[in-house]
Amino acid sequence: MTIDCGAAKTLIEKRADGLLPPGAEKELDAHLSSCRECADEQSRSIAVGRLLRSGIDARAVSAQSGLDMMWTRVRAGIEEKKPIGGVLSRRSWTAFSAGAFALILFALLLYPAGPDQSPFNPKTFDVSVEDVESDIAVVTQLNMGEDLPRVIWIVEDAKS
Amino acid sequence: MPSRSRGLWVFAAFFLLLLCGGSAGFCLAADTIAIDVGSVYASNSGKEIDPSLVHIRGKLEYMFDYSSYRLLDRKRQRLSEGEKNDFELPDKRSMRIKVLFVDEKKVRLYVRIQEKEKKLLGTTLGLSRGGMVLVGGPVYESGVLIFLISAD
Ligand SMILES: [Zn+2]
Repeated sequence: MTIDCGAAKTLIEKRADGLLPPGAEKELDAHLSSCRECADEQSRSIAVGRLLRSGIDARAVSAQSGLDMMWTRVRAGIEEKKPIGGVLSRRSWTAFSAGAFALILFALLLYPAGPDQSPFNPKTFDVSVEDVESDIAVVTQLNMGEDLPRVIWIVEDAKS
Repeated sequence: MPSRSRGLWVFAAFFLLLLCGGSAGFCLAADTIAIDVGSVYASNSGKEIDPSLVHIRGKLEYMFDYSSYRLLDRKRQRLSEGEKNDFELPDKRSMRIKVLFVDEKKVRLYVRIQEKEKKLLGTTLGLSRGGMVLVGGPVYESGVLIFLISAD
Protein backbone atom coordinates (compact mmCIF):
# COMPACT_ATOMS: atom_id res chain seq x y z
CA MET A 1 0.00 0.00 0.00
CA THR A 2 1.61 3.21 -1.07
CA ILE A 3 0.69 6.88 -0.86
CA ASP A 4 -0.87 8.78 -3.75
CA CYS A 5 0.68 11.59 -5.78
CA GLY A 6 -1.05 14.32 -3.79
CA ALA A 7 0.34 13.01 -0.52
CA ALA A 8 3.73 12.49 -2.15
CA LYS A 9 3.84 16.11 -3.26
CA THR A 10 3.05 17.32 0.24
CA LEU A 11 5.89 15.15 1.57
CA ILE A 12 8.26 16.44 -1.12
CA GLU A 13 7.55 19.99 0.02
CA LYS A 14 8.18 18.96 3.60
CA ARG A 15 11.45 17.30 2.63
CA ALA A 16 12.53 20.45 0.81
CA ASP A 17 11.77 22.38 4.00
CA GLY A 18 13.65 19.83 6.09
CA LEU A 19 10.44 18.96 7.91
CA LEU A 20 9.92 15.43 6.69
CA PRO A 21 9.20 13.15 9.64
CA PRO A 22 11.48 10.10 9.72
CA GLY A 23 8.51 7.76 9.41
CA ALA A 24 7.43 9.31 6.12
CA GLU A 25 10.82 8.90 4.46
CA LYS A 26 10.22 5.28 3.42
CA GLU A 27 6.70 5.93 2.18
CA LEU A 28 7.85 8.81 0.03
CA ASP A 29 10.84 6.97 -1.39
CA ALA A 30 8.66 3.98 -2.19
CA HIS A 31 6.31 6.21 -4.12
CA LEU A 32 9.15 8.03 -5.91
CA SER A 33 10.67 4.76 -7.07
CA SER A 34 7.45 3.91 -8.84
CA CYS A 35 6.25 7.34 -9.96
CA ARG A 36 8.28 9.21 -12.51
CA GLU A 37 6.26 12.40 -12.25
CA CYS A 38 6.77 12.76 -8.51
CA ALA A 39 10.46 11.83 -8.81
CA ASP A 40 10.83 14.72 -11.28
CA GLU A 41 8.92 16.96 -8.93
CA GLN A 42 11.38 16.12 -6.17
CA SER A 43 14.44 16.83 -8.31
CA ARG A 44 12.95 20.18 -9.22
CA SER A 45 12.22 21.02 -5.62
CA ILE A 46 15.77 20.05 -4.63
CA ALA A 47 17.18 22.13 -7.48
CA VAL A 48 15.15 25.13 -6.39
CA GLY A 49 16.22 24.66 -2.78
CA ARG A 50 19.85 24.50 -3.83
CA LEU A 51 19.53 27.56 -6.04
CA LEU A 52 17.91 29.43 -3.19
CA ARG A 53 20.54 28.39 -0.68
CA SER A 54 23.36 29.24 -3.03
CA GLY A 55 21.66 32.57 -3.62
CA ILE A 56 21.45 33.29 0.10
CA ASP A 57 25.02 32.16 0.76
CA ALA A 58 26.24 34.29 -2.08
CA ARG A 59 24.40 37.23 -0.61
CA ALA A 60 26.16 36.73 2.70
CA VAL A 61 29.57 36.86 1.07
CA SER A 62 28.90 39.17 -1.80
CA ALA A 63 25.46 39.70 -3.16
CA GLN A 64 26.66 41.17 -6.40
CA SER A 65 29.15 38.52 -7.45
CA GLY A 66 26.71 35.71 -6.72
CA LEU A 67 23.99 37.29 -8.77
CA ASP A 68 26.39 38.15 -11.56
CA MET A 69 27.38 34.52 -11.71
CA MET A 70 23.79 33.39 -11.90
CA TRP A 71 23.01 36.00 -14.49
CA THR A 72 25.98 34.91 -16.60
CA ARG A 73 24.82 31.34 -16.35
CA VAL A 74 21.35 32.27 -17.50
CA ARG A 75 22.71 34.34 -20.35
CA ALA A 76 24.96 31.46 -21.35
CA GLY A 77 21.87 29.27 -21.37
CA ILE A 78 20.10 31.71 -23.66
CA GLU A 79 23.05 31.92 -26.04
CA GLU A 80 23.45 28.18 -26.12
CA LYS A 81 19.97 27.48 -27.41
CA LYS A 82 19.03 30.39 -29.56
CA PRO A 83 15.82 29.14 -31.13
CA ILE A 84 13.41 29.39 -28.25
CA GLY A 85 10.53 27.97 -30.23
CA GLY A 86 6.97 29.08 -30.57
CA VAL A 87 6.21 29.73 -26.94
CA LEU A 88 8.67 32.46 -26.18
CA SER A 89 10.57 34.67 -28.56
CA ARG A 90 14.12 35.38 -27.56
CA ARG A 91 13.17 38.91 -26.77
CA SER A 92 10.35 38.07 -24.43
CA TRP A 93 12.50 35.42 -22.79
CA THR A 94 15.18 38.03 -22.15
CA ALA A 95 12.58 40.41 -20.81
CA PHE A 96 11.17 37.66 -18.62
CA SER A 97 14.62 36.82 -17.24
CA ALA A 98 15.43 40.43 -16.61
CA GLY A 99 12.15 40.92 -14.81
CA ALA A 100 12.62 37.73 -12.88
CA PHE A 101 16.09 38.78 -11.82
CA ALA A 102 14.96 42.17 -10.68
CA LEU A 103 12.40 40.42 -8.50
CA ILE A 104 14.83 37.80 -7.26
CA LEU A 105 17.31 40.47 -6.29
CA PHE A 106 14.57 42.25 -4.42
CA ALA A 107 13.36 39.07 -2.77
CA LEU A 108 16.86 37.94 -1.80
CA LEU A 109 17.32 41.17 0.06
CA LEU A 110 14.14 40.52 2.00
CA TYR A 111 14.32 36.77 2.21
CA PRO A 112 14.09 35.54 5.79
CA ALA A 113 15.97 32.61 7.27
CA GLY A 114 14.65 29.15 6.44
CA PRO A 115 11.01 28.75 7.41
CA ASP A 116 11.60 25.52 9.35
CA GLN A 117 13.68 27.18 12.08
CA SER A 118 11.55 30.28 12.10
CA PRO A 119 10.69 31.24 15.64
CA PHE A 120 7.16 31.08 16.91
CA ASN A 121 6.05 34.66 16.83
CA PRO A 122 2.43 35.07 17.81
CA LYS A 123 0.90 38.46 17.07
CA THR A 124 -1.81 38.06 19.66
CA PHE A 125 -2.99 35.86 22.50
CA ASP A 126 -6.59 36.81 21.97
CA VAL A 127 -8.33 33.47 22.30
CA SER A 128 -11.80 32.45 23.35
CA VAL A 129 -12.20 28.96 24.70
CA GLU A 130 -15.80 27.98 24.10
CA ASP A 131 -15.76 24.60 25.79
CA VAL A 132 -13.41 21.91 27.03
CA GLU A 133 -14.03 18.26 27.71
CA SER A 134 -12.06 15.10 28.32
CA ASP A 135 -12.85 11.42 28.79
CA ILE A 136 -9.85 10.68 30.95
CA ALA A 137 -8.42 13.85 32.43
CA VAL A 138 -9.33 16.99 34.29
CA VAL A 139 -8.91 20.07 32.16
CA THR A 140 -8.38 23.55 33.55
CA GLN A 141 -7.90 26.89 31.89
CA LEU A 142 -5.35 29.48 32.80
CA ASN A 143 -6.01 33.04 31.84
CA MET A 144 -3.28 35.31 33.12
CA GLY A 145 -4.10 38.38 31.08
CA GLU A 146 -3.98 39.58 27.50
CA ASP A 147 -0.21 39.75 27.38
CA LEU A 148 0.19 36.09 28.20
CA PRO A 149 -0.92 33.08 26.21
CA ARG A 150 -4.13 31.38 27.19
CA VAL A 151 -3.36 27.92 28.54
CA ILE A 152 -5.52 24.81 28.53
CA TRP A 153 -3.96 22.47 31.06
CA ILE A 154 -4.64 18.74 31.08
CA VAL A 155 -4.20 16.88 34.34
CA GLU A 156 -3.94 13.22 33.46
CA ASP A 157 -4.98 10.46 35.81
CA ALA A 158 -6.80 12.94 37.98
CA LYS A 159 -10.06 11.21 37.10
CA SER A 160 -8.96 7.70 37.98
CA MET B 1 14.99 17.09 -20.28
CA PRO B 2 16.82 19.69 -22.36
CA SER B 3 18.79 22.05 -20.18
CA ARG B 4 16.99 25.15 -21.38
CA SER B 5 13.53 23.99 -20.56
CA ARG B 6 14.77 22.63 -17.28
CA GLY B 7 16.36 25.98 -16.56
CA LEU B 8 13.09 27.63 -17.43
CA TRP B 9 11.27 25.30 -15.11
CA VAL B 10 13.62 25.85 -12.20
CA PHE B 11 13.28 29.51 -12.86
CA ALA B 12 9.54 29.51 -12.92
CA ALA B 13 9.46 27.49 -9.73
CA PHE B 14 12.02 29.73 -8.06
CA PHE B 15 10.10 32.75 -9.16
CA LEU B 16 6.84 31.43 -7.80
CA LEU B 17 8.47 30.51 -4.55
CA LEU B 18 9.80 34.02 -4.18
CA LEU B 19 6.45 35.50 -5.06
CA CYS B 20 5.09 33.47 -2.21
CA GLY B 21 7.60 35.15 0.05
CA GLY B 22 9.17 31.79 0.75
CA SER B 23 6.49 31.01 3.26
CA ALA B 24 3.11 29.49 2.95
CA GLY B 25 1.51 32.44 4.68
CA PHE B 26 1.78 34.77 1.75
CA CYS B 27 0.10 32.42 -0.66
CA LEU B 28 -2.95 32.02 1.47
CA ALA B 29 -6.30 33.17 0.37
CA ALA B 30 -8.55 34.63 3.03
CA ASP B 31 -10.51 31.40 3.34
CA THR B 32 -7.53 29.20 4.18
CA ILE B 33 -5.46 29.24 7.31
CA ALA B 34 -1.99 27.91 8.15
CA ILE B 35 -2.15 25.86 11.31
CA ASP B 36 1.15 25.42 13.12
CA VAL B 37 1.42 22.86 15.91
CA GLY B 38 4.64 22.77 17.94
CA SER B 39 5.28 20.11 20.59
CA VAL B 40 7.50 21.42 23.37
CA TYR B 41 8.98 19.20 26.05
CA ALA B 42 9.18 21.19 29.26
CA SER B 43 11.22 19.78 32.13
CA ASN B 44 13.61 20.60 34.91
CA SER B 45 16.47 18.62 33.44
CA GLY B 46 18.88 21.12 31.99
CA LYS B 47 18.45 24.72 30.98
CA GLU B 48 17.94 24.40 27.27
CA ILE B 49 15.59 26.83 25.55
CA ASP B 50 14.87 26.02 21.94
CA PRO B 51 15.89 28.88 19.61
CA SER B 52 12.46 28.77 17.96
CA LEU B 53 10.95 29.86 21.28
CA VAL B 54 12.99 33.04 21.48
CA HIS B 55 9.96 35.34 21.25
CA ILE B 56 7.92 33.56 23.88
CA ARG B 57 10.54 32.21 26.27
CA GLY B 58 9.98 35.06 28.71
CA LYS B 59 6.28 34.26 28.83
CA LEU B 60 6.87 30.53 29.21
CA GLU B 61 9.33 31.12 32.03
CA TYR B 62 6.93 33.50 33.71
CA MET B 63 3.95 31.17 33.47
CA PHE B 64 5.53 27.79 34.09
CA ASP B 65 8.07 26.45 36.48
CA TYR B 66 10.36 24.56 34.15
CA SER B 67 13.99 25.27 33.36
CA SER B 68 14.19 23.61 29.95
CA TYR B 69 11.95 23.96 26.89
CA ARG B 70 12.82 21.79 23.93
CA LEU B 71 10.91 21.72 20.64
CA LEU B 72 10.36 18.04 19.83
CA ASP B 73 8.35 18.43 16.69
CA ARG B 74 6.54 20.96 14.61
CA LYS B 75 3.92 20.41 11.98
CA ARG B 76 2.20 22.82 9.67
CA GLN B 77 -0.80 22.44 7.48
CA ARG B 78 -2.88 24.76 5.38
CA LEU B 79 -6.59 24.20 5.84
CA SER B 80 -9.73 25.82 4.57
CA GLU B 81 -13.09 26.07 6.24
CA GLY B 82 -14.60 22.64 6.85
CA GLU B 83 -11.28 20.82 6.44
CA LYS B 84 -9.54 18.86 9.15
CA ASN B 85 -6.09 17.42 9.67
CA ASP B 86 -4.48 14.97 12.05
CA PHE B 87 -1.24 16.21 13.54
CA GLU B 88 0.96 13.50 14.94
CA LEU B 89 2.14 14.23 18.48
CA PRO B 90 4.89 12.64 20.57
CA ASP B 91 4.09 9.45 22.49
CA LYS B 92 1.55 8.17 19.96
CA ARG B 93 -0.93 10.88 20.71
CA SER B 94 -2.53 12.79 17.91
CA MET B 95 -4.26 16.10 17.49
CA ARG B 96 -7.13 16.54 15.09
CA ILE B 97 -7.89 20.11 14.13
CA LYS B 98 -10.98 21.03 12.20
CA VAL B 99 -11.51 24.51 10.85
CA LEU B 100 -15.08 25.46 11.67
CA PHE B 101 -14.91 28.99 10.40
CA VAL B 102 -12.31 31.28 8.90
CA ASP B 103 -12.25 34.84 7.60
CA GLU B 104 -9.59 37.57 7.28
CA LYS B 105 -9.51 38.23 11.00
CA LYS B 106 -10.71 35.22 12.92
CA VAL B 107 -10.68 31.48 12.91
CA ARG B 108 -12.74 29.01 14.88
CA LEU B 109 -11.23 25.60 15.46
CA TYR B 110 -12.27 22.34 16.99
CA VAL B 111 -9.22 20.69 18.56
CA ARG B 112 -9.25 17.11 19.74
CA ILE B 113 -6.31 15.31 21.31
CA GLN B 114 -6.53 11.58 21.18
CA GLU B 115 -4.63 9.21 23.44
CA LYS B 116 -4.99 5.60 22.38
CA GLU B 117 -8.74 5.25 21.92
CA LYS B 118 -9.64 7.94 24.41
CA LYS B 119 -10.35 11.61 24.06
CA LEU B 120 -7.77 13.42 26.15
CA LEU B 121 -9.15 16.80 25.16
CA GLY B 122 -11.87 18.23 23.02
CA THR B 123 -12.19 21.99 22.77
CA THR B 124 -13.62 24.67 20.54
CA LEU B 125 -11.45 27.75 20.20
CA GLY B 126 -11.83 31.15 18.62
CA LEU B 127 -8.51 32.74 17.67
CA SER B 128 -7.51 35.93 15.96
CA ARG B 129 -5.37 35.28 12.91
CA GLY B 130 -1.77 35.33 14.00
CA GLY B 131 -2.85 34.18 17.44
CA MET B 132 -1.56 31.36 19.60
CA VAL B 133 -2.96 29.18 22.34
CA LEU B 134 -1.12 26.68 24.55
CA VAL B 135 -2.33 23.24 25.49
CA GLY B 136 -0.19 21.52 28.08
CA GLY B 137 -0.01 18.94 30.77
CA PRO B 138 0.42 15.48 29.26
CA VAL B 139 3.26 13.74 31.08
CA TYR B 140 6.35 13.09 28.96
CA GLU B 141 9.61 11.60 30.22
CA SER B 142 10.53 13.62 33.31
CA GLY B 143 8.39 16.60 32.41
CA VAL B 144 5.33 17.57 30.42
CA LEU B 145 4.37 18.40 26.88
CA ILE B 146 3.16 21.83 25.92
CA PHE B 147 1.58 22.19 22.49
CA LEU B 148 1.74 25.57 20.79
CA ILE B 149 -1.17 25.97 18.42
CA SER B 150 -1.08 28.95 16.11
CA ALA B 151 -3.29 29.99 13.24
CA ASP B 152 -2.13 32.51 10.66
ZN1 LIG C 1 3.24 10.23 -7.95
